[in-house]
Amino acid sequence: MPSFVKAIFGIGLILGGFFGLSAAMYGIGYGLERLRFENASEWWAPLATSHLAAILILMLVIVMVTATLLTLAERKWSAFMQDRPGPNRARLGGLPVVGKLLENMPLAGLPHIPADVVKMLTKESFRPRAASPFLFNLAPILAFAPVFALSAVIPMGPALSVAWDQGKSVLVQGVAAAPDFGILYMFAIASLAVYGTSLAGWASNNKFALLGGVRAASQMISYEVALGLSLVGMMIAFSTVKLAGDDGLAAMQGQYLWSFRVAGFDLGVPQWGIFLQPIGFLLFFAAAFAETKRAPFDTPEGESEIVGYFIEYSGMQFGMFMISEFVEVVVLSAVLTAVFFGAWWPPFGNEALKSALAGHEVWLGAVYGLIFWVKALLLIYLQLVIRWTFPRFRYDQVQHLGWKILLPLGLINVFVSGALILWDPSLRSLCLMGVLEMAVFGFWTLTPPRQVRQEAEARADHDGHDHGHDTHAAPALGAGSH
Amino acid sequence: MSALTHGHAHEVEKKELVEPDIRERTYIPTLLKGIAITTRHFLRNLFFDRDTNPQVVDRHGKNTMNTVQYPEEKIPYPPGYRGVHRLVPREDGKPRCVACYMCATICPAQCIYIEAAEYDPADDAAESRVIEKFPKQFVIDQLRCIVCGLCVDACPKDAIRMDTGRHTDSGYSRQSFVYDIPKLLGGDPVTHPSDPWFKRGNSTPPDWVEKEAHTRIGAAVEFPKLPASTIEIDTSKPVAVTHFKKG
Repeated sequence: MPSFVKAIFGIGLILGGFFGLSAAMYGIGYGLERLRFENASEWWAPLATSHLAAILILMLVIVMVTATLLTLAERKWSAFMQDRPGPNRARLGGLPVVGKLLENMPLAGLPHIPADVVKMLTKESFRPRAASPFLFNLAPILAFAPVFALSAVIPMGPALSVAWDQGKSVLVQGVAAAPDFGILYMFAIASLAVYGTSLAGWASNNKFALLGGVRAASQMISYEVALGLSLVGMMIAFSTVKLAGDDGLAAMQGQYLWSFRVAGFDLGVPQWGIFLQPIGFLLFFAAAFAETKRAPFDTPEGESEIVGYFIEYSGMQFGMFMISEFVEVVVLSAVLTAVFFGAWWPPFGNEALKSALAGHEVWLGAVYGLIFWVKALLLIYLQLVIRWTFPRFRYDQVQHLGWKILLPLGLINVFVSGALILWDPSLRSLCLMGVLEMAVFGFWTLTPPRQVRQEAEARADHDGHDHGHDTHAAPALGAGSH
Repeated sequence: MSALTHGHAHEVEKKELVEPDIRERTYIPTLLKGIAITTRHFLRNLFFDRDTNPQVVDRHGKNTMNTVQYPEEKIPYPPGYRGVHRLVPREDGKPRCVACYMCATICPAQCIYIEAAEYDPADDAAESRVIEKFPKQFVIDQLRCIVCGLCVDACPKDAIRMDTGRHTDSGYSRQSFVYDIPKLLGGDPVTHPSDPWFKRGNSTPPDWVEKEAHTRIGAAVEFPKLPASTIEIDTSKPVAVTHFKKG
């Protein structure tokens, strides 16, 4: 089978999975809410909310399964970026019924996932004798729990009112928890993640682990500041710290700044965070990336120098650190989607989509969920490609970037955005400013830097005269001194 | 100073350090270009088929992978590669070996053990009239062998060769690496015009021309041609010479 057929089949499978899971979430949520509506007097009625469906499907299935698949995607995608085939040796030949059929199929490396899981779970979790037993065992849990808890407040779909009878309807939620303080909760929980890593570094009784833990602690604490500051612009623009709900950041991005209709189809510029706050997005992305401790900010791990805070961990305890890193990737992508990329809203055709699927709210929710996860998937890809493209920062460069670049830029961004919002509360001038910023970066990206221009000019001059030999191709070392 | 370098003294153009552009100082434009390069590789390798030609330099197509997936794809060895030994058979399937002990004697690792036996002179068979000995046992300990190929050079009868193009097979016991005649004897049979069994009075000479061609060393294995070198050497100009200052 040709590669592009396989690739398109794989992409279709992933998108279909997201669509199906979103449909399942809204379907189960609708069932639960209706059960509650019809048994309002029962004692368990308050428990049967659609938040349960969100916890079940969003947090336990979508986020966790995506993170699990990412353990493979990290290796497979990086292989493709580096011109390698990547992991393709594990086989499912041992299975009872389908084993004969799957014996010689690499299945894009997917059998490596169960192989890794079995390996992690059955390996000994070795603990050094001098390590502190309680803290040593606590650290992987503390590294995983806050990251996972973070996914609770991210709205991955709208709250939809589903009706089944005249005047009878229930509100089905697309988020596990919708507190009024969504963004503040996010900051609070994200800063707890530092405990897991620094405890792991401290409790291992290992110099290198301690170095990694100290690095992690100082890096994460310094980037906290820039992280908080970078979102202030968005908070001012929408005058809220809510993430979910009708007046939350995610839902409000569905409105247009400028819009017009073409044959019943609405087009326009939506007030997505990326248009309003491109600088804020860059700052938040950089700071949050540093919080995830992935390359190019992986000095706490530092594979090539100190191995890092989890050097003494093995088995599933190490697996917890690894899986929490991938959950962090998924959650960060979901946060970015919800805050900067218009959450579940399509870039155009909001009204058209809503009216096309009126009366089929569960399917509408599934389409919204699919749109959300397509955006999140692209951002996940962006995070992986960044890891495999950029060189690592040195430790002092990490601190330099955090304190001397991101922090002042964040402050400037807050003041400029605040002034623009004060001047024009309709956010249109803020959007124009953002588009201008993006245009400047686009222009810089598409035009060559000065050194390349000068070299091209020099080459054009050089070609005019025949010097007899090519000093560019074979520069003679030290020649010309005699 | 030699006349060569004196006449064409090379002037090294020093590349001046250019002040970093705003594009480089803001990181983002150059980083975006880096992402574009990585993504291009990713998409090409995701959507296009990998060329499985074991000669990596001959691969073409949109896919840029240059991996050779070893057990399924193998890079052919160059001609003259010394693989695992074989005892060369005659046309009738018996080994050409006459148990002269030359290989066992020259072997620096002493990994060849030969036990000779004598043909019965009273026997009427053709070879017993012209050859005295044959190997009753011919054993090579592949774990001892250093793959130097001296046995092949020493053999006066072209009876041992290393042209199989295979490695020694892996095994679970030391004994499985001790190869005896049934394991060693194999491959294309070889006949030479000087072979003694042709020297009987009543024999007709065989068709040498046809036989000789495939009996030369390396002729049994088909080796693909290596690509021609793409490096162009300009001989019209003097070669750049590196001078080191004394003292």
